[in-house]
Amino acid sequence: MIDQQLVTVTIDGTPVRVPKGTWLVEAAKQIKREIPVYCYHRKMGPAGLCRICLVEIEGMPKLQIACNTAVTDGMVVHTQSDKAADGRRAVLELYLVNHPLDCPICDKGGECDLQDYAMAYGQGYSRSVDPKVSKPKAVDLGPTIVLDEERCVVCQRCVRFDDMIVGERELVLKDRGVRNIIATANGEPYRHNFTGNVTELCPVGALTSKTYRFKSRPWDLRRTTTTCTQCPVGCQMHVDVRVGVVQRTMSLEDDDAISDGWLCDRGRYNVGFYDDPARVTQPMYKRDGGWVQIGWDDALDIWAAAIREACAVNPASVGVVGGGRLTNEEAFLLQHLFRAKGVANLDWRAGSQRQASPGRNGGTLVDLESCDAIVLIGESPAERAPVMDLRVRKAALQKGAKVIRIASAERPYPAPIPSTDVATVAEAIKKLPKDPKRIAIVWDGCDADFATSLLEKLPAGAQVLTYITGEQANARGAEAMGMLPFSEPGYGKAESGLDAAQMFAAARDGKLAVLSIFGANPAMYRADFARASFTAVSDLFMTETAQLADLVLPAKGPFEKTGTTTNMAGDVLPVNAAHSLETPADALSDLEMVVALAEKLGVELPVAEEVDAAVLRHLAKAPEDFTLGDARFGTSVILSPSKDPERRRKAHVEGIAFNVVVQTRVFGGGGTSAHDARIAELCPLPEAAFSPEDAAELGVNTGDYIDLVLDSVSDVVQAHHDNVGHDLLVEVRNGMPRGTIALIGGLPDSPASNLAGARVSVTNIRRAPEDAAEAIGAPA
Amino acid sequence: MSRKNLYNVGALLAGLGVTFKYMFKRKPTIQYPSRKKKHAPRFHGLHELRRYGDGKERCIGCELCSSVCPANAITVIGAENSPADRRSPGERYAARYEIDELRCIFCGMCEEACPTDAIVLTPRFEMSDYRRGSFIYSKDRLLVPPEAGTGLAPDDRPNGIPSDLGRVAEIKSTVSTDEGYDATWRGTILKTQTKGLAE
Repeated sequence: MIDQQLVTVTIDGTPVRVPKGTWLVEAAKQIKREIPVYCYHRKMGPAGLCRICLVEIEGMPKLQIACNTAVTDGMVVHTQSDKAADGRRAVLELYLVNHPLDCPICDKGGECDLQDYAMAYGQGYSRSVDPKVSKPKAVDLGPTIVLDEERCVVCQRCVRFDDMIVGERELVLKDRGVRNIIATANGEPYRHNFTGNVTELCPVGALTSKTYRFKSRPWDLRRTTTTCTQCPVGCQMHVDVRVGVVQRTMSLEDDDAISDGWLCDRGRYNVGFYDDPARVTQPMYKRDGGWVQIGWDDALDIWAAAIREACAVNPASVGVVGGGRLTNEEAFLLQHLFRAKGVANLDWRAGSQRQASPGRNGGTLVDLESCDAIVLIGESPAERAPVMDLRVRKAALQKGAKVIRIASAERPYPAPIPSTDVATVAEAIKKLPKDPKRIAIVWDGCDADFATSLLEKLPAGAQVLTYITGEQANARGAEAMGMLPFSEPGYGKAESGLDAAQMFAAARDGKLAVLSIFGANPAMYRADFARASFTAVSDLFMTETAQLADLVLPAKGPFEKTGTTTNMAGDVLPVNAAHSLETPADALSDLEMVVALAEKLGVELPVAEEVDAAVLRHLAKAPEDFTLGDARFGTSVILSPSKDPERRRKAHVEGIAFNVVVQTRVFGGGGTSAHDARIAELCPLPEAAFSPEDAAELGVNTGDYIDLVLDSVSDVVQAHHDNVGHDLLVEVRNGMPRGTIALIGGLPDSPASNLAGARVSVTNIRRAPEDAAEAIGAPA
Repeated sequence: MSRKNLYNVGALLAGLGVTFKYMFKRKPTIQYPSRKKKHAPRFHGLHELRRYGDGKERCIGCELCSSVCPANAITVIGAENSPADRRSPGERYAARYEIDELRCIFCGMCEEACPTDAIVLTPRFEMSDYRRGSFIYSKDRLLVPPEAGTGLAPDDRPNGIPSDLGRVAEIKSTVSTDEGYDATWRGTILKTQTKGLAE
């Protein structure tokens, strides 16, 4: 950027020095001179459609649009001259010819660019005597977005967002003249992972979120800026609260380093669980098979007594699982407390992910854009880290990066970008572009074989950047804070304890006396989960794990507590409690719980300043000696078929047994999405995918419904996993390996998450109702 | 008894004279609550939310009243009309509408701001109660019942409307017209009082 030529342009008498080629509207921003725009957006560049940014440039006979005029040396611009004001006024008058004046019921009212500009630059009255053109209001575009056709000013920001940023091209411009309107291609529902962004892009109230329609007005909202903790990307977001309820979330447009100014729909819309009636509001203790509500003091006494007794006998019989969903401070204090009691069995890995710190090659999210090739291993970032997926799309669509996926059982890459599917590492190496300068490896953190062998075989000379997407938002922070059985805070070596799998194995053998689980649901995501003699769970809801516990403690959610979190790229980001959000009176944050427990156990914890300093110190250090798939992290849980004939079951139909592959979907997670009525429509249906050959052999087609029975499973699978799946929608998917069945993990009513590696067979095939298909296609 | 005391008898009679004079004058006191004073045409009393002729609520839940309210007494939470349960014309209606009458200063700004003439201030002023909570009026008390003869434009409603009440819908208000406001004009009383003070 040093050799960039600077030019001087005079805007309203103030000289500005900017790089040559800067758009005039950006140059004006440097002297805090705002030029009104509708179609222009910093991330998408100019379109030159809306004509509202007219300015007067000396030497040019007519007014020019500031968004699509590059500055030249010596240019003299007037944004406030009479001529410019006249031009803007005329453009605004045309905008308002057909724009309805329903500001009182419009969700954008109060933060609307048309309203603001009409006040600032408009003439204040209409010369039009004809009635306004009437168009449909509240047009349902899809599960998330409603379009008001009357209000649309056809700036095409949403269309260009779909085209340039997301690449899905679902929104199009339809018809001509006064009937010119936004619609979805072929009238299909507007559905991808980033639809909510168009409501923010829309300068008027044409595109609105279903979850926020008429809930509030902008001036009612109390705004807090915090970090989204739904996935490890860590997008910065505004949380807007009214009457104690989260009404909406908004992206930060200038968050270039992490979210690039966008939010995914999961992060944006899955915020309605805080006031769900199913929330645990009081400590619950299981007595004689039933739950009783107890006070915090009793709960802490029971918990502390169990830990104290077990520690007195053998500290190795105490285990802690969790930390990946907590803040850095909470994870730090949690391990501090238990290490002080001599407990070494600490692990954040409550799911199938085994590693979160990419080690010395870890790259930033911005670096991803400048890679020549991006190799995806395991589950794609499209389903695990959607906003990171936008960077992958940007690299592929705008910068021509090559996207290669290794051995994925998934359907084609769920983004409309050119991607290459290969089966082996050797093939992937062959498909790499010639002389790559920078290669990114994006791994889901589960199965390390491909990642480690790929790292070894990559061509020398190329810079390799590694990324680990994952299941838990602060997994990397938890690792740095020492929530690992073999590492202390700051990745130092610790006295080795049991990892999660070993803890559950010990629990099965009756060797684990006390198991404390913080913000994790291993019963949902791990087939080998087993409860200890005394199990305490801190969570927001009665999760599958909590139901198996002895003591359930009401925790606070991420918008209800303050601290820091670490994203996948190692950035330390603030988590702030949302202003005026109503929290159940008896809920404690995990930090408060750990502090109270430490008091009962007589452990002295470091004071807040020491914790903050320790967190920053440990996170500033990159784990230099880690690589992808480091051997110390062990292997993921993979079930092996049972050797015990008693546990084997007969195949019911045709005798074909399938290996289960569990796949993540953005909205497929249980947990918070199961308790959010606002996003129920976005959750995928429970489905089962087969290869075409297997489907032909079974005689099923896409659209049929099937049930599954367990054929053979590992010995470790507990009885509560026997319910495998009912009413699964069949999808015949090209490219699936034969003999496998892909299920969606984490659905509230699909217990498939912990079946990875199990063998199932198909039963009770029900055909898709033929009359239903006819009803769709048949003319009336 | 001195001469001075005789003069005092005169003063006593003069004073009693005033008493007797007023004894035979017309009395401003009225037998409240059986009779009630008539209010000034634009008296600002208790609010009410009105309806259209077809029974739909006029309020669209736009919150302009609550944002203009200088006392921050109004809370409105909007919601979307469903085709099955259409509360107001258009898309939006007020799911919750609450006025804290203890906080209200009866300035009438809400009435001014309302784009649909939904909220009006009636002459009703008797709101006393024993609990503070009961001064938070929600839609169940603010909204006129559908059978209250609602629905016509402000100026041509059934049974006419006293012109001196302006557009305040007496006939639609929760004030009973039978009990009447036939007492002395408030203006008259004020005039008398001013006169009395001057004298």
